[in-house]
Amino acid sequence: MRSFTHFDAYSIEDTCTALGQYKGRAQLKAGGSDLLSILKGDFLPDYPEVIINIKTIPGLDYIKEDGDFLRIGALVRLIEMVRSPLLSHKYSVLVKAAHTVASPQIRNVATLGGNLCQDTRCWYYRYPRSMGGPLQCLRKGSGSCLAVKGDNRYHAIMGGKKCFAVCPSDMAVALACLDGRLIIAGPRGERNVAVADFFYPLGNDLAEDEMITEIEIPARRNPAQQNFLKFTLRKPIDFAIVSVASVISIEKGVCTDARIVLGAVAPFPVRVRAAEELLIGKPVSEEIVMSAADEALAGSKPLSKNAYKVQIAKTLVKRAVMGSTD
Amino acid sequence: MTRQEKKFSGSALEGKHHINLTVNGQLYELAIGTGAGKVNPSDTLSFTLRETLGLTGTKVSCDSGACGGCTVIMDGRAVLSCMLLSIECDEKEITTIEGLKNPKTGELDPLQQSFIDHTAFQCGFCTPGMIMSSKALLNDNPSPTEEEVKEALSGNFCRCISHYQIVRAVMAVSGKGK
Repeated sequence: MRSFTHFDAYSIEDTCTALGQYKGRAQLKAGGSDLLSILKGDFLPDYPEVIINIKTIPGLDYIKEDGDFLRIGALVRLIEMVRSPLLSHKYSVLVKAAHTVASPQIRNVATLGGNLCQDTRCWYYRYPRSMGGPLQCLRKGSGSCLAVKGDNRYHAIMGGKKCFAVCPSDMAVALACLDGRLIIAGPRGERNVAVADFFYPLGNDLAEDEMITEIEIPARRNPAQQNFLKFTLRKPIDFAIVSVASVISIEKGVCTDARIVLGAVAPFPVRVRAAEELLIGKPVSEEIVMSAADEALAGSKPLSKNAYKVQIAKTLVKRAVMGSTD
Repeated sequence: MTRQEKKFSGSALEGKHHINLTVNGQLYELAIGTGAGKVNPSDTLSFTLRETLGLTGTKVSCDSGACGGCTVIMDGRAVLSCMLLSIECDEKEITTIEGLKNPKTGELDPLQQSFIDHTAFQCGFCTPGMIMSSKALLNDNPSPTEEEVKEALSGNFCRCISHYQIVRAVMAVSGKGK
C-alpha cells in the first residue's frame, strides 16, 4: 500500500469540513474492508492523500426504535445487526442479509454505512496495478464500459447505462425492501435519500463533502414474512450473483402486502412493483408466485454472457416469496 | 485560535504520534512515522506484527481479506490483520498464535494440541488463522456445535483440504466432540 496521511475524526461536522477542504483528495474509512483492497490494488486514477478514520466519531453505533422509525447508526457493525434481538424480531430481512455478507472476520469490523458505500466489484474496474492494470473505463472517467464486449457474466441484466457493473451491497437490497432512507450530513446540513435512489450507474449520490450518518426505516407493526436469499458460488468470499429481499404479509392464505427487491442485477437495488401487484390480493400458490417471478424479470436485457442470471433471479424470487431458507 | 479557525487549519482532525498496542499481554508503544521500528500510517496490522514486532506466527496469504490466514483476536473478536491499519489499533488488545501457549510452562493450549493430535493440517500455512478463529469461537461459546464451528471457520480457507480434521480437532475440545 502506498502511503497517506491519517487522521481520526471526532465529529460529523469536522469530518465534512475536512472533506470539503481536501476537495476529493481525502477518503473516509470505517471498517476498511473495501477501502484497503482498493488501496492495495491501486487501480483508481487518484490515490487518496488523506484517510479519515470515522470509527472514532462517538454515538453512531445505535440500533433503536424511535416512534415511527427504526434508526441504525452508520457505524453499526454487521455482527451487531446479526445479533440484534430487535432486528431479529421485526426486521429479520436485515439480519438475514447481514449474515450473508462475507466472512465472520469481516462482519466483525465491517459497518452498515461502509457496506452501502463500497465501490463496484467489476473485475475490469478493479484490475490491480500489480498485474498489469489499471484498466481505463468510463467509470474512471475515460473510455467505455469494458464489460459490454468483454466477459460480463457477473454484470447487470437491467438498468445499466454507461457502466454495467452491479451494486455490490447486500444491505442496500434489504434496506430498500423496508423503504429505508439514508440520512446524509454535509456542510449544507442534513438531507435524506431513499436507499434505492442512492445508487447510480457511475457511483452514488454522495457529494465529496458528505457522509452517511444514519439509516432510517419506517417502524413495522407486524414482522410479516421477511426473507433474504443470495446466490453465490463460494458463500463467505463471493459477492452476490443475484440476491432477493422480500417482505410478504399473508392473512388467511391471501397475500395482503408484498415488497420484493432484486439485488446484483442492476447498478442499484430494483424494487419490482409489477410483480408485487400480481401477488397482492391473491392466494399464495406456486403458480401465482411463478408468474410474479416472470413479471419481476420481464424488463431484463442480459448482456452476452449473463442471461443465466435471469433464471437464477426468477428462482430466488419464487423461493423468497414461498418462504424457503436457501 | 477559535474553533472555526482551528477547523480551517485542518487541525480539527487529529493525527496520531504513537500507538499503544497490547500483543499477547505485552504492551508495545510504537511511534508513527517512517523508519525502523516505527509504524507507517499505511502499515497493516499483519505487517506490524510480523515485520515490526517479529511475531511471524501470523501468516499472510492472500493479503486481501479473502482467505482468513492472517486471523488474530482483537478485543475478543476474530479479525483479519491484513485488513486493519495498525494506526487504528491504538489501545487494542491483540492475541496471536504465539500468545496461546502457557507463558510459564510453555505448554500448548488444548486447542493447539488437538490440532496436532488430529493432524489437522498438511502444509500448515492456514493453521494459525484456523486456530485463532476457533479460539475466538471457544472463548465466546465453550461448547459449540459442529454447525457453529463450521460457521466460525467459514472465512478460513485450507488448500490442502484439511477441513474435516480441523472441524474434528475443534469439536474435540468443545466438550461435545467424540
